[in-house]
Amino acid sequence: MNRKIIRTLVKKEMLDVLRDKKTVIMMLVVPIILYPLIFVGVMQLMAFISSSMETQNYRIAVDAQDGDAFLQKLLERGETQRADTNDEQAEAAEGSGVGEAESESLYEITIIEAAAVSDYEAALNEETIDVYVLGRMQDGRMQYDAYYLNSVANSEYAAGIVMEAFDDLRADMTRQRIQAAGLNVHEILEPIGYEKENLASSEQSLGSIMGAVLPFMLIISLLMGTMYPAIDTTAGERERGTLETILTLPVTNRQLIVSKFITVAVIGMISALLNILSMGGIAVYMYEIMELQTDMGSFDMTKFVPAILVCMLSIFAFSLFISAVTMCVTSFAKSYKEANNYITPLMLVVMFVGYIGFIPNLELTQAMAMLPVANICLLIKNMLVFKVNYGIIAVVLVSNIAYAVVAILFLSKIYDSEAILFSEQKGGLQLFEKRSNLHKGGVPTVSDVWFVVAVTILLVLYVGSLLQMKYGLAGVLGTQLILLLVPLALVLYTKKDIRLTYGFAGTNAAGFLGGALLISGLYPVNIVLAGWLTRLFPESAGHVETAFSGILGDNVWAAFLVIALAPAVCEEMLFRGLILHSLKARYKAVWAIAVTAALFGAYHMSLVKFIPTGLLGLALCYVVWRTGSIYPAMLMHFLNNACSVIAAYFPEQVGRIFPVFLQDTVTFSDGMLLLGAGLVLAGVSGVLLKRCRKSV
Amino acid sequence: MIRADHLVKTFIRNEKKNRKSEIRAVDDISLTVKEGEIVGILGPNGAGKTTLLRMMSRLMRPTSGQVSIRIGEEEMTDEIEIKRHIGYLSNNTKLYGRLSARELLQMLGTIYGIPEQTVEERIGQIGRILSMDGFLDNRIEKLSTGQTQRASIARCLVHDPQVYIFDEPTLGLDIISSAAIIDFMKQERERGKTVLYSTHYMEEAEYLCDRIVMIHHGRIISEGTPAQLKEETKKDSLRDIFSGLVLSADGEEEQPGKRGGSER
Repeated sequence: MNRKIIRTLVKKEMLDVLRDKKTVIMMLVVPIILYPLIFVGVMQLMAFISSSMETQNYRIAVDAQDGDAFLQKLLERGETQRADTNDEQAEAAEGSGVGEAESESLYEITIIEAAAVSDYEAALNEETIDVYVLGRMQDGRMQYDAYYLNSVANSEYAAGIVMEAFDDLRADMTRQRIQAAGLNVHEILEPIGYEKENLASSEQSLGSIMGAVLPFMLIISLLMGTMYPAIDTTAGERERGTLETILTLPVTNRQLIVSKFITVAVIGMISALLNILSMGGIAVYMYEIMELQTDMGSFDMTKFVPAILVCMLSIFAFSLFISAVTMCVTSFAKSYKEANNYITPLMLVVMFVGYIGFIPNLELTQAMAMLPVANICLLIKNMLVFKVNYGIIAVVLVSNIAYAVVAILFLSKIYDSEAILFSEQKGGLQLFEKRSNLHKGGVPTVSDVWFVVAVTILLVLYVGSLLQMKYGLAGVLGTQLILLLVPLALVLYTKKDIRLTYGFAGTNAAGFLGGALLISGLYPVNIVLAGWLTRLFPESAGHVETAFSGILGDNVWAAFLVIALAPAVCEEMLFRGLILHSLKARYKAVWAIAVTAALFGAYHMSLVKFIPTGLLGLALCYVVWRTGSIYPAMLMHFLNNACSVIAAYFPEQVGRIFPVFLQDTVTFSDGMLLLGAGLVLAGVSGVLLKRCRKSV
Repeated sequence: MIRADHLVKTFIRNEKKNRKSEIRAVDDISLTVKEGEIVGILGPNGAGKTTLLRMMSRLMRPTSGQVSIRIGEEEMTDEIEIKRHIGYLSNNTKLYGRLSARELLQMLGTIYGIPEQTVEERIGQIGRILSMDGFLDNRIEKLSTGQTQRASIARCLVHDPQVYIFDEPTLGLDIISSAAIIDFMKQERERGKTVLYSTHYMEEAEYLCDRIVMIHHGRIISEGTPAQLKEETKKDSLRDIFSGLVLSADGEEEQPGKRGGSER
């Protein structure tokens, strides 16, 4: 029944969207008619420009003592070029010394008397002359200077001709002088022979050219293809008043969202395929033309079959991803216009991340394979030059699909058609409300928090990692500041209660002591867990290891500040403050804690770290929940990270006291001992925390 | 039968800077409409009629209270189950302009889980009853106002619901179109259906309703058959009864913080 309802809804959405002229224009007319037209137009224009450059008359003023030889070379250039069209072989046989393969240039050269030009700079600017050549005897030889303007196309082109004439002159004179000295011209001028040879197969060459264009075009066309249906099925439905009609039906929010998502993704895929086909057609056309003109070698198209297959799969995976993302944005818009406003920044972000795929020499590593948008670009690029790694392909495709599924499940959970329709004030994005309409106090709404968390995580991902790469420890501090300031801006803007939102409340000593005991119990447990996980996922662990040691500097105190103190404040305020408290205001405490902890684990973005940091998050949430204050959690977080810093800077001393901490793998007996000790400590802390006074 | 138990809906609204106020659009209304009965909801603008009807058709979640439907011996409170047995119509339930009426009805039939064969038969029937045969296959955006309204009614009929909830169905229609709707409601009553509807037209309510519920500021101020109401108030037109009740309720109710909300 469920499937039948979704199928019916999808059919309805499809009909509804496809019968709209705007979609059809975006889907069919743009790729199939407009692209080829633009392309042919651009080609024509380029051909026109280059031919007009070649048929120009260039005016060159020459002021040189004894410049006859040069003048002759210059005129020869103009003339020989003209002669070329009749007799190309003759020129090649004559061998002007410089291997010019200029084709049918038709320009003319007019020599202007230097005396007629009083101020050459002004003349150049007025474009009455294109180049001014000044030749003087200097240190026993002629020194020629050619003045031109690189801002004027004709002048720049003419300067090129002048330089070629100089080359001719120099080659001639060199030859003459060598002959005059009675030496062998060939032996002197070319004592060695050399040549470079391209061993890339013609498929590889073609692939690398396509890899530079195809991924980006694919991403843009998918984005454009999904954008319109995403708006139409969400904000459009609301604006046309049919959302209320849908609400009268026995259909759940999830069925509604999933069916809209399927529609958007399918339309996106179709339009991307049409785009690709159209571009492919252009490429074939280009290829035919080039083949007529030049010898490009033949291609074995069957070699591209895997690349094309992966490309298709990528279109599939990415269309799911991009549809989910655009729908997350447009679903909360109340009108078309609003949805359009939300989409624009998203488009910029996607395009920006798409550019990452074009950074030369960027490897598609495991970590990169998880980075949306960029991973698709890199994957297609790699496939086209026949760099294949099935593991990575799987990671890219699966991660895209997984992001999409998570986003849609999440959207169907928080998308409340009723609230959106009847604009209930409870929940919802307040961030885009008029500020004067917001009332003071309380904690931020869950929707606001999700939005800001998403923005913050994106900033940390892109800006933060850049900062860390560039500035090391200081960059980490920058990341922490992003974590602190972006959400704080939301809290201040929406006029929320800082104390309530962040849990700035006092607690008694039992709270702090309990927290400290809990963390000292959890730390060894996490060490054991990390040891076991390292054995399970060695690759991921190695990545974490190098990333961590890469940012440590020489200064212990700086490391303490940045790695122990800053996260204890910034990460706590975000996770155990803003996220936990706003979730708790809306959902049951258990769920709020579980989601916050899982998010904290995921935030560390590593397979190995997920479970230990998730557990840490759980403990921190628990303490905040028991004590009603964020301060014990800050203390715990500080202690936890401080231990890591100490272990990293003083391995020997630590190793002497706790040998277990430094071994790569933990033996079973040691592990059990640590686990036991940890559990005892955690138990004691549990009792303490139960007795602590909960501040209100 | 449809029953509302102590329904409350509050909206939070910001009146002035930094002052939020809670508005009880519907304030503890209990109501039962039986099979074969037409109940009319009367009330001034902003009385909470639309909010009440939206909650009863489960378009809107009540802040507190419960809605239930009983068909035979089976009692339902689940949102989706209730929606399956209700035909809801208001001026805000627009139709998909790019679909034809037939496509829309077919789609709705599938969603309600009606066999294809039955849907086709019912579309034929509905087309005849509402005389839609001429425009069943036209796109809805091309239809006239009257035709669109008929398509809207057809939308509520396709699953042959046990309960009809209509929010001002005759608003802005000409005499012939509204007569068609009134006749339709009467017909459905004869078939043992439950009809709950709101209106501003007193004569229509008096002619049609078995029972009238007057609400003001989100509360029921009076309830009964037209005859009972006349007897109680010693007035003989529903119009006078209505305005009298509203005015006296306004006089009594001077408590702050208990104002009715507007329609939305």
